[in-house]
Order: sequence, then C-alpha cells, then structure tokens
Amino acid sequence: MTTSFIPILAVDVLGSVVMVVISILALNTARILRIHDRDNAVFLYLLWIAAGFCIFSVSRSFGHILRQFLTLSSYQDIWESISPYSGTINTVSFMLVGLITLFFGQSWNINEKILTAKKRLEETHTELLHLNQNLELKVVERTEMLTTSEHKCRRIFEQSLDTILVTDNSWKLLEINPAGIAMTGYPRKDMIHGPMHMDRLFASQSEWERIRDAIVANEFILNEETDFVRPDGSLIRVLITGAVDYGAFGCGKTHHFIIKNINDKKLMEKQMAQAEKLAALGELSAGVAHEINNPLGIILGYTQLMLKRTTDPESIDFDDLKTIEKHVNACRAVVSDLLKFSHKVSAEQTRVSVNSLVRDVVKFLSNHPALRQIEIDLSLSREKPSVMGTEQELRQVMINLLINAGHAVNKDGEIRITTTRKSDGHVHIAVMDNGSGIDPETMPRIFDPFFTTKPVGEGTGLGLSVSYGIIKNHKGDIRVQSRPGEWTVFTVILPSAPEHEERS
Amino acid sequence: MKTPALTKLYYTLILIGMFCILDSQAAYATQMHSNSEGIIVHQLGHMFFLVSMAILIFTINGKELNREKGWKLLQYSAFLFILWNLDAALAHFLDNQINAVTVTMTDNWQTTITARNSSRFLAVAYYILKLDHLLCVPAIVLFYKGLCQILETQTMTGNFGKRR
Repeated sequence: MTTSFIPILAVDVLGSVVMVVISILALNTARILRIHDRDNAVFLYLLWIAAGFCIFSVSRSFGHILRQFLTLSSYQDIWESISPYSGTINTVSFMLVGLITLFFGQSWNINEKILTAKKRLEETHTELLHLNQNLELKVVERTEMLTTSEHKCRRIFEQSLDTILVTDNSWKLLEINPAGIAMTGYPRKDMIHGPMHMDRLFASQSEWERIRDAIVANEFILNEETDFVRPDGSLIRVLITGAVDYGAFGCGKTHHFIIKNINDKKLMEKQMAQAEKLAALGELSAGVAHEINNPLGIILGYTQLMLKRTTDPESIDFDDLKTIEKHVNACRAVVSDLLKFSHKVSAEQTRVSVNSLVRDVVKFLSNHPALRQIEIDLSLSREKPSVMGTEQELRQVMINLLINAGHAVNKDGEIRITTTRKSDGHVHIAVMDNGSGIDPETMPRIFDPFFTTKPVGEGTGLGLSVSYGIIKNHKGDIRVQSRPGEWTVFTVILPSAPEHEERS
Repeated sequence: MKTPALTKLYYTLILIGMFCILDSQAAYATQMHSNSEGIIVHQLGHMFFLVSMAILIFTINGKELNREKGWKLLQYSAFLFILWNLDAALAHFLDNQINAVTVTMTDNWQTTITARNSSRFLAVAYYILKLDHLLCVPAIVLFYKGLCQILETQTMTGNFGKRR
C-alpha cells in the first residue's frame, strides 16, 4: 500500500512537540501543587509522576523528531546508530513512569496517615490550647479567690478585738495580732523576733503547765480562765481557747489561740458584788443602829440624870455611872459610824479644796504614833482641785486611809499622796504605800463593817466601811489595788466641784 | 559526604561502562545477547507501563477519588495511555518482532507499506497504528488538565485529601 507520508510525519512531529510542551506544563502544575502543601505525600507522588511523564515525553519526542529529520535528510545510517540509545532511554522513561505509578496506593496511604496524624495533632493542639487558656483563667480566678480569702483572713486577724496568737511546736510565739500586743503590753519585736515563749505570758507557771498539758492531752482547750502578767507586773484576767494545727502543704505543727480580755468584766462583776454586799450591810447596819440608838439614848439620859442626882463625886456610884456614860458614848460613836456607813447621815455640803484638805490631814497626823517615823510624800495637783462635800467627813476618810497606810508600812516605809484632776470631771486622791499589801483573799472583805486584820482591841473594823459610806454618799468611789508584799494604792474618786462655783 | 576513594570508584565504573557500550567487542567469556532482546525489553516496558496505568485507574476507584473531577481526568488519561501502550506494542510487534510489515520511503513524500501476504488490511491497520500520537497527546493533555483541576480544587477549598 502506497500512501502519503505527510499525515504520519505531521502527527509525529506536532504530537511530539505538543507532548513536550504539555508535559512541561504538567510538571510545573505538579510543582505548584507540591509547593502549596509540602507535607502532602500525594502531591509529591504527582510531582514524581509528572517528572516521569516529562522525561518520557522529552526523550520520546526528541527521538521521534530526530528520526524524522535524519530520515528525511537521507541520514538514515546515523539514525540507525542513534536509535538503540533513543529507544533505550524511551523504554527506561516509560518504565520509570510505570514504576512511579505503582507507588500511588502507598503514597495515598502514607498521606492518609500523615493527614490523620496531623488532624490528631491539631485536635490535641486545640485541646491543649483550650486547656491552657482554661487553666490560665482558672489560675487567675483561684488566685483572686485566694487573695480575697487571704485579705479577709488578714483583716480578721488585724482587726480582731480579741487576741489571736500562733506558736510553733515548742510554744515559741510566731504571730500575734495588734489586739494581742496591746493586751499583753510586750513590744512586737520581743514577741515575734525574740525568743519569747508562751509561758512568759502567764502569771502562774502552774497555770501554764495545766493549760499546756490539757492541750497536749486533748489537742484543744476551751474557755479556760487564767491570769496573764504584763511587763509592768499588772495582771489581766483572760479567757483562753486554743487548739493544735498539724499544718498543711509542708507547714509544721502549730498552736492557735484566741484570748479574750475579761479583766474589766471581772472587775466590774467584783465591784457590783461588793457594792451589792455593802449596800445590804448598810441596810442592816442602819436598822441595827436605829434600833440600838434609841435605847442608848434612854440609857445615856437616865445615866446623866442619875449623875446629876449623885452629889458625891467620890462615891462608887458616881464612878460606875461615869463608866456607863463613857461606854454608852462609845456605843453611840459606833452607831454613828454605822449610820455614816449606811449613808443615813447627811450634812451640809460645801466646796472643799482637796489639796488643803490633804495638807491639813497630814499635818494633823504628823504626831500620830502610826505615822511618826514615816515619810509622807505629797504630789498635789497644781490645778488646785476642789470637790463639793462635807469637809469633816472627807477629812475622816483621809485620816482613815492614812492611818491604815501607816499601819501597813514599817519604819522605812513610804507613803505618797497624789491628787489629780482628771479630764472626765473627777478628782482622784491616791494614797499609796509600800507596805505589806493586801492578799487576794482579804481584798473582797476590806470594806465590810467590823472586818479587821488588826489584833483584837486595836481596831473596830469600821474605818474603811465608814470611808466607803462617806465617799458613796458624795457620789464618788473608792478603789483599791495591791500587790501583796510590795504596795497598795487606795484611790478616792470624787466629782469635781462645778466650774462657776470655782470661779466665784 | 562522599569520600575521595568512593568518588574515584564511581568514575572508574562510569568509564568502564562507557567503554563497554561505545567500544563493544565480542566478549566470549560472558553470555551473548541477540538483537531481539532490545525489542523484547521495550515491549515488556510497554506492558509494565500499561499494567501500572490500569492499577492507577483501579486505585483511584478504590479510594473513591473518581468523584473529584481532577482525579477523574487522571483516570481518563491513564486509560488513553493504556490504549497508547497497546497501539505502540502492536506496532512494534508488527514491524520489529515478526517483521510482518515493511515501510519504504519514496522521493515524493510517499511511503509504501508492504504487509505480509500483501494484506491490505494489515497495511492499513499498521498505518493507523503509526498515528499513536493521536492517543498519547490527548492522554498527556488529560493528565495536565487533571493536575490543573486538582490544583484549582486545592486552591479553592484547601481540603485536598481531607474529605474523609
């Protein structure tokens, strides 16, 4: 069959050129795909297969075009020497394409695994991110809560009116709030930074040991009453509650205490009980005095009448009547004192200068046997305070207090009298001695009528009772503080005289 | 990094290879290869190419990628390459293996195809088979279009290979 060669030639040459061009374009497209996602194994596969097609197209097209060119230009023999190489390259190229193609499944599977792993990684990353953000929010929230809680606790600690105290396992003070510092009176640096232990706060070591043992045994104590001692030696009655804290987050064992100052409450209770007792005694005394006073008056009247009738002063009857009269007068004095104690006697009140009163009494008693050898130190207010009252009665109070002080001190003793005008409108007259003091058992009874610590016959036991009655009658108060064996202070508190009357 | 000794070994092997190819003499110590080996290897290459294209088609189906236009075009391309391989293999069989066809060029752009037993059918069939570019050019075009489609899909959605 003879036919035109041109269609074969045209298709061969043009087809070869188109093959080369399109395969190059395909290779470029695959390259862009690959650049688009470098982690995609399928795109890598497509790049390889496009490269294979490109090599195949170029080698094949080059061979075909060269063959046509050499054949048409009568260089058939050259072509025949080249054609084995061209054919070989051509064979290798499409075998290469086939080989690459076979790996498509594996490439896809690898890509699937990569994508799955990537997806999981992204999910995990998102989850982690969420957790992290959530965690940050939670940390912020918890920190705020913790700060608020800490602030609240700190405020409670700082603002509490009761003492809050923390000690370590060996009872060394670790923390104490401002109320505690004010109550105990020790400097903060000594309490916290110094080696100060809990036992130092207690007035009695046996009390401390009792409370310590109770905590060790029961791990808590509840509302135990005891006395604390301040640096100046004064005592404070406290109510103490404490417990053991075994700590958390690596903190050591500590003891926590809440201590209530009940000193004022106790003092008030004592004073009220004392006042009630004395009021009752006053009523009783007044009744007894009134009942005795009338018979005494009759006895005295008849005795004096009989004395008038007795003409001989040397007679035995006269002496007997005199003795009766003397003792009846003594009884009347006692009755009078009882009436004074029970506030039943009232006299006209005038302005009394306190400093003058004190000086007069000291001068009056300068030769008294109880005060003869004793130095009396006067520390009188320059404001010259004055009170409204009965001078005679107030003088009697001062005499009683000074004589008592004189009995309390020995020859080397010292008595100090201080007058002060306070801003609350009261005048304080304090009589302090460094004598034997008053023991706690005696203290509640010192104002009781007929109570005395002096030997029988040396005191009636009415001095302080009468003084108490007089001061109460003047709308004042009389207080006593004492440390046995060291000192005692009696303080008379009286309302200051009105201002305008002072000027006049 | 290659050591100098290794580089020297490579150069030596290349030189020996080139010497053997370009200046081949009868080497009686080794097995002789006939001229027909080349065409058989070439034909095997076509068959290998054909099989790999068929596997590609089935793999794309198996992965359900043929739902996407780009991969569908790649399947068509593979199918045309299969046809091209059949075409080329048959043409080589006729003129190189069994020498059933002889092609002679004449001066006036004419060619004479002489088929065994003067079969006109065989001659016409051979003539048509020689126009194999009519198969491989559309195949490579479809391959290119398929890649372009995949790139476009990827650019638009950014979810290539993530639909599962």
